[in-house]
Amino acid sequence: MKSLSWKAMAASALAIGVLGAMAPAQAQTKVDFTVAEYSSKTGPYFEEVAAAFEKANPDIDINIQVVPWDTLLQRLTTDIAGGTAPDISIIGTRWLLDFAAQGVAEPVDAYLTPEFKSTFIDTFMAPSVIDGKIMGLPVAASARAMMINMDLFEKAGATPPTNWDEFYEAAKKLAALPDTFAFGLQGKEIETDAYYYYSLWTHGGDILKADGTSGLDTPEALEAANLYKKMLDEGLTQPSPTNYNREEVFNLFKQGKVGMIFTFPMLIPQIKAEAPDLNYKIMPFPEGKAKATYGVTDTLMMFANSDVKEAAWKFIEFAYKDEYRTTFDHGEGFLPVTKGVAAEEYYSTDPDIAGFAAGLPYAKFAPTIANWEEIADVTVRTMQQIYLGQVTPEEGLKAAAAEINGIRGK
Amino acid sequence: MSQKLKKSLLYWLVLSPLVIVILFPFAVMFVTAVRPREELFVYPPRWTFSEFRWDNFVDMWEKTNFGGALFNSLYVSVAATALALLLSIPAAYALSRYRFHGKGVYRNFLLMTQMMSPIVLVLGLFRLMVQFGLVNNLNSLVLTYAAFNMAFTIWMLQSYFNTIPRELEEAAWMDGASHLVSLTKIFLPLAVPAMVVTGIFTFINSWNEFVLALTMIRSQDQYTLPVQIFSQVAGRYQVEWHHVMAGTVLATVPVAIVFSWLQRYLIRGMALGAVK
Amino acid sequence: MKSALRSTPLLMILPSLALAMFIIGYPIVDLAWTSLQEVSRFGQLRGFTGFDNFAEVFTDQLFYDSLWRTVIWTVAVVGGTLLISLPVALILNDDFIGRGVARVIIMLPWAISLTMTAVVWRWGLNGRAGLLNATLMDLGIMSEPIEWLATAPLAFTAEILIGILVSIPFTTTIFLGGLSSLPQDSYEASMVDGASWWDQFRFITLPLMRPFINIAIVLNVIYVFNSLPIIWVMTEGGPANGTDILVTYLYKLAFRFGQLGKASAISLIMFGVLLVFTILYVVMVMRAERDESDLTDEQGAGDVAEA
Repeated sequence: MKSLSWKAMAASALAIGVLGAMAPAQAQTKVDFTVAEYSSKTGPYFEEVAAAFEKANPDIDINIQVVPWDTLLQRLTTDIAGGTAPDISIIGTRWLLDFAAQGVAEPVDAYLTPEFKSTFIDTFMAPSVIDGKIMGLPVAASARAMMINMDLFEKAGATPPTNWDEFYEAAKKLAALPDTFAFGLQGKEIETDAYYYYSLWTHGGDILKADGTSGLDTPEALEAANLYKKMLDEGLTQPSPTNYNREEVFNLFKQGKVGMIFTFPMLIPQIKAEAPDLNYKIMPFPEGKAKATYGVTDTLMMFANSDVKEAAWKFIEFAYKDEYRTTFDHGEGFLPVTKGVAAEEYYSTDPDIAGFAAGLPYAKFAPTIANWEEIADVTVRTMQQIYLGQVTPEEGLKAAAAEINGIRGK
Repeated sequence: MSQKLKKSLLYWLVLSPLVIVILFPFAVMFVTAVRPREELFVYPPRWTFSEFRWDNFVDMWEKTNFGGALFNSLYVSVAATALALLLSIPAAYALSRYRFHGKGVYRNFLLMTQMMSPIVLVLGLFRLMVQFGLVNNLNSLVLTYAAFNMAFTIWMLQSYFNTIPRELEEAAWMDGASHLVSLTKIFLPLAVPAMVVTGIFTFINSWNEFVLALTMIRSQDQYTLPVQIFSQVAGRYQVEWHHVMAGTVLATVPVAIVFSWLQRYLIRGMALGAVK
Repeated sequence: MKSALRSTPLLMILPSLALAMFIIGYPIVDLAWTSLQEVSRFGQLRGFTGFDNFAEVFTDQLFYDSLWRTVIWTVAVVGGTLLISLPVALILNDDFIGRGVARVIIMLPWAISLTMTAVVWRWGLNGRAGLLNATLMDLGIMSEPIEWLATAPLAFTAEILIGILVSIPFTTTIFLGGLSSLPQDSYEASMVDGASWWDQFRFITLPLMRPFINIAIVLNVIYVFNSLPIIWVMTEGGPANGTDILVTYLYKLAFRFGQLGKASAISLIMFGVLLVFTILYVVMVMRAERDESDLTDEQGAGDVAEA
């Protein structure tokens, strides 16, 4: 009798102990988060946030997968096709429409509390709104600006330009310097079209007309392209722009060989690390008929097929706390998407960031339309043909507009 | 000057353009890997730099989890090679020694498996691996690499096996040895150089494979070396080129060492075939 | 005994056959299936559309341009590789001082993955920051840097040359294997007959090397035809699609534009092209040679011809 009850007690104690040990493990929810990689800091940053979150919420496990940008779309395509999509992911906002149209993205209006919603800056929230529904939250943002090399300007006796005429004059003076290029023009790979849009918008044109057809066959578009071609032909740009992708144009600038480029705030940390003696200055894009800059956002999206949406949302709210957002924005060199971070002194006093932020009131974004990648590719190809002299700007733009209208079914 | 010396000089002269072109990228890699980051973009670009920053290698090792990726690559390459050899040796033996129905069909089928680029098959392969629950598992790569390399290993092994005279085994059979014994005691020892060479080919192909690894492996701690190094470059705003090149240098060194063994085996293995 | 003999070889090839059919066969079938359907950008099959995808491909000018360029790419790279590898193999087969070192160097391009090779070359070919231009200018060969990848013809040429460079180790190894297995007695006998080096090459080496040359051609054509990394990393098929070959065009269609149905159709067409090439080559070239030659590798060459 005695031994039996002793054994029974031991057995039940063991059982309770085992069940107790198992319980939290069984109750753990796993959230898969695909993080697009901006720099070597991105992964460690999100791991930190995840660790802090897991400490506060031991029943949720955040699984971070860092993916390079170049392969992100391929990766997500394969994942969705194979049925192993993550629960949340960072994506380029330009893809959001396609994701939403395919029913892959989950609208988050139902999850957003009014307070959480009000922490976001409207300009950056807007691109993620499709058909009146909020399909994701802005996670990274930048606006573009012009960056000039002050030492070269001094040497050439040129004045920093505020409009395109002054730009042209300054370029002529800079090009006269030996071994120097006035204007760094990008002609290769992604965002070759964006470089053109800077000119397009400031000349008063737009990517799409009000009726939704391509804006490339307008006189403003032609003027914008003609200006670039003219500068190319007159030797005011680096030779053979089609050999220079975005990174390579910026590298030329870091080498101190270029007077003026159009760039993003993420270049600043690079310059500090790789070309600390470079004397640069941030200015708005030259004005033509309009002031403009290019706003780009990336979106944090939740997947419709996710079965842990509650847990995922909890993490999202946690990750947007000011203390984390400020680390992220400062580290990567982004503009803030939340009002809390935007209110920091840094963003109005630091001359570089303030220079980029100054363009926000008149920032234009890429249109959220279907098949954007394909349409952008048509523009890239056309600009390349123009730079190579394979077509005249007029022919090229007309053909591009026709092709784009075809893709849009108009 | 002796004949041999004259000949050697002539040969090196003829080979030199090729040698220079081959060594150029390695020189670029090395020089970029050991220079300080601030000197990556000096103009005009120079071969010289101010100091050897061996630290770059250490930094890179830590920052990019190089050790982990190295281990993953080793595991995948060794396992894929072992699997490929395990399946190829009997197949090559059968092709070399037997006549049977469907021999030609089988050979043609193998050749056809080479014709599809893995990139083209990526979606289908991925779906297959999902079915098996092997996504983000290095074993998915082991199976895939073994399968894609098999046509080549079987072909190579068969060519080698053909050079091993049947008479040796037949003599053993006449002396009363069973097939199994003749296989293990007579055939296999002679086939070792062939298996080593073929194994090394498969190892290198698996070590360097990129597209499939990129698709199947999801989390950074499971990355193989090519994917790990590529992720340092692809689509980042700040590419740390000195780290990228350091990583490539380190990824190349083991294979280069393997090559210096390989070329010795090549002579031995093939000379065996020449002895008739 | 007889039935055991019959089934033994089949059993021996069974595991390899199973693995190949599984891992490779399944995706091919999946691909064929997908090509006949309308596919959403994320691979969700939306229903049969018959040959619509193929029709779209055949009316696409970019497809024909890429096809033509793929042919040029394949012929140039394989041809160039063969032309260089054979003499190099001949040299490396001979005994000379530093032969071991030479062999290791020739094999080195194989030590880096294709993608990294392309990345390093792109870095070196950069117009203003690249060490190639810097070196050539320092040596006085050039006074102005060349923008290697700016225009399609120049970029394509650079890509072809790099393609040849990375194919040399593989092909040289095949040839070295072949050369070391050549019987010495034929050479000795011919020298007694007073044959010159060139005669020996033409009448002994070349014919005996034919099976190895054939296999080098077939395998290289297949690999080069399908090769993505070099062109992708250096120019992504640009500028203005000027260096696009079928496989880079396909990649963009599938993973950038989300047109998976069309991409699948192109993949099948590529497979078909290679299949036709291999069959024609094997039937015409290799069968003719089999009738003339009498070699240890005859069995291998002959079996491929038998269907």
